[in-house]
Amino acid sequence: MGEKIFIQGNVALAESAIRCGCKYYFGYPITPASEILEYYAAKMPEENGVFIQAETEVSASNMVAGVAATGKRAMMATSGPGISLGAEAISYMCSAQLPAVLVNVMRPGPGDGDIVACQGDYFQAVKGAGHGDYNNIVLAPYSVQEMVDFAPLAFELADKYRNPVLILSDGGLAKVMESAELPDRTTPDSNFDWALTGARNRKANVITTCAKSPKQWEGYNLILQEKFAEMKDAEQRWESYETEDAGLIIVAFGITARIAFSAVRIARENNMKVGMIRPITLWPFPEKAFKGNEDKYFLVSELNAGQMVEDVKLSVNDKRKVSFYGRLGGMTPTPKELYNEICNLYEKHMTCTNV
Amino acid sequence: MLIGKILGTVAAGKGYKVTFAPTYGQEKRGGRTSCQIVISDSMDSPVISEADVILVMDEKSLDDFENSVKKGAYLVVNSSMIKKEVQRQDINVIKAPMNDIAEDMSNPKSANIVALGTVLKLIDSVSYDEISRHLEDTFKGSAVEANKEALQLGYDFVKVK
Amino acid sequence: MKVVYKKPEVLTDVSFSYCGGCGHGIINKLLAEILEEEKLTEKAILVWPIGCSVYADQNFNVDSICALHGRAPAVATGIKRSLPDNAVIVYQGDGDMVSEGMAEIMHAVIRGEKINVIFVNNAIFGMTGGQMAPTTLLGQKTATSPYGRKAANSGYPVHMAELISSFEGCYYSERVSVNSPNNIMAAKKAIKKSVQYQMDGKGLSFVEVVSQCPTGWGVKPLDSLKMVDTSMTKIYPLGVFKDSGVERN
Repeated sequence: MGEKIFIQGNVALAESAIRCGCKYYFGYPITPASEILEYYAAKMPEENGVFIQAETEVSASNMVAGVAATGKRAMMATSGPGISLGAEAISYMCSAQLPAVLVNVMRPGPGDGDIVACQGDYFQAVKGAGHGDYNNIVLAPYSVQEMVDFAPLAFELADKYRNPVLILSDGGLAKVMESAELPDRTTPDSNFDWALTGARNRKANVITTCAKSPKQWEGYNLILQEKFAEMKDAEQRWESYETEDAGLIIVAFGITARIAFSAVRIARENNMKVGMIRPITLWPFPEKAFKGNEDKYFLVSELNAGQMVEDVKLSVNDKRKVSFYGRLGGMTPTPKELYNEICNLYEKHMTCTNV
Repeated sequence: MLIGKILGTVAAGKGYKVTFAPTYGQEKRGGRTSCQIVISDSMDSPVISEADVILVMDEKSLDDFENSVKKGAYLVVNSSMIKKEVQRQDINVIKAPMNDIAEDMSNPKSANIVALGTVLKLIDSVSYDEISRHLEDTFKGSAVEANKEALQLGYDFVKVK
Repeated sequence: MKVVYKKPEVLTDVSFSYCGGCGHGIINKLLAEILEEEKLTEKAILVWPIGCSVYADQNFNVDSICALHGRAPAVATGIKRSLPDNAVIVYQGDGDMVSEGMAEIMHAVIRGEKINVIFVNNAIFGMTGGQMAPTTLLGQKTATSPYGRKAANSGYPVHMAELISSFEGCYYSERVSVNSPNNIMAAKKAIKKSVQYQMDGKGLSFVEVVSQCPTGWGVKPLDSLKMVDTSMTKIYPLGVFKDSGVERN
């Protein structure tokens, strides 16, 4: 540690993933994620790793599943349309209990959309892009440093639960350059007793997602559900800022949290009792962050039409107190714009002296 | 993009929290680009409400960004390319013929480094000497001296402060 | 007493889940014999498809993975790249490979993945109830071509062994059948050779097995064996389409 460099978000994530032992990368060109693909293409020969530019994200994500089945670390980074294609593999890996890391560098949709910052894939990420009863941890970085930090964290969580982990970045964080401290190189343990390596001196390992009967499959599903419940309880991550005395709490993740952070600071400078909760895991949603804050007012801000609002409402169990401010299609609010919205709400709900 | 990266890299090297946020057109290469740089002591929004200094290199950029300058702050205009008048009265406007200065020193490609020189006069976080030293790492051979000269000419052109 | 026949030990005691008269059971058993004869039971990783052989992982004492529909070559690519010294053997049917998984098999051979692919062509979707596959013969009646497959609507049968052989990444491509003892022996020889090629580090080796599906074809098992000769191999001729091992000698 200690090595701090000025580095682009996408490149930082790729380098960090390599340093934590992810030497298998499969992907397909798509803006704004391609720097990760290109970085891996450049680095894998010297790392004795594998890089394949696959024919589709469908194939790339299934190649990831193949490597994961052998116990090694593999990754695919793409943007929303690519996750739509990779969704069957996410469902598959959750069912087959394969640990891997996928990255969605979000861009505005629906359809082809644009290539800039957006957060419209929240539902896709946290409610399940693929089919069936499954969940996977979703990590939402908000700085280049977190793009670095979340790569090893994602692999650790994936290995811990034998479940894929999604890093949900966006076209803004992907392209910005910031100072970040890169981790030292580590070699992960890939000797898992369930991995496919050839059945030498042991019973054959079988990885399948095919039910033998409804009864058997219900039993298997219940085992998965138990695991998801354990993840939900143990892996909620968030950051709270000045929430204790706050009457109004902004809830924002990823790049919007950065904007919201600046807006909250302006509000505090104006003696307004405003705080912030930044969900770091979007699944599991950090419900625990809202404990004790249920009677406060909330302003959810996202670069979408208000997708996380649902989870905030569920967390505080009071729909009336949750409002939303967001921009769509690749537009991003400025801190001032968000501050103005804070003022509007503050005036409406609280005695406001300094607005 | 280049001068934004130079400025960002040097400021980050000094320990500031720096965010360099580029914006490309859909086509990515060859189109119009812009970048926002935040140099701060704390973690800030990469999206700027109002800027302390805005540099515009062509007329379209002037149209797009004139209103983003903070009241009383600076708008640096490349007067070689921008003939239009700035409308706002509540900001400081600095006009520098960046392409002409570069051409006069027979290095038309260094208009961007001239621009960087002009901007340096207006910001406190990074000094002229620090950037000048950094140019030695950015460029090679004869380009080092040419660009240092461009930086100097831009810096000297601005008479405030 | 002399043992004249015994079940390969690599097979478990679980019964095959195939219908009576189906070719899959024969092909699975050939694979089991080859794994034993080539001493690959500890080195092999079998990649099963979605289709009638979806439960075959239960029948082998060998590391196995069942991929999603059509994706076996992509999963196998990941496995082989991770474990280049292991024998990675893909087993796919025609619905799985030629419909949903056409991109995956094409690009596996384009990249010259050093894997084996056993492709079972019985001209029909068996598991889902006998629907038309891209390999279904013209005029053939299926659940989704109840009036017989018509080229004007559904195009023409796909010749995978020939197609695969046209790629530089293909090392070996042969089409065999399993409708007679002689043909079964020939099929075994072909699959064995393809496995040996993989262990020698050669490119993708492909064996298409024209197989009978009496249930899907709606005929008696014995008649299905005859139909392989009278209809199937007329359209899908048996033979070696590429063998770089021989060509180079």
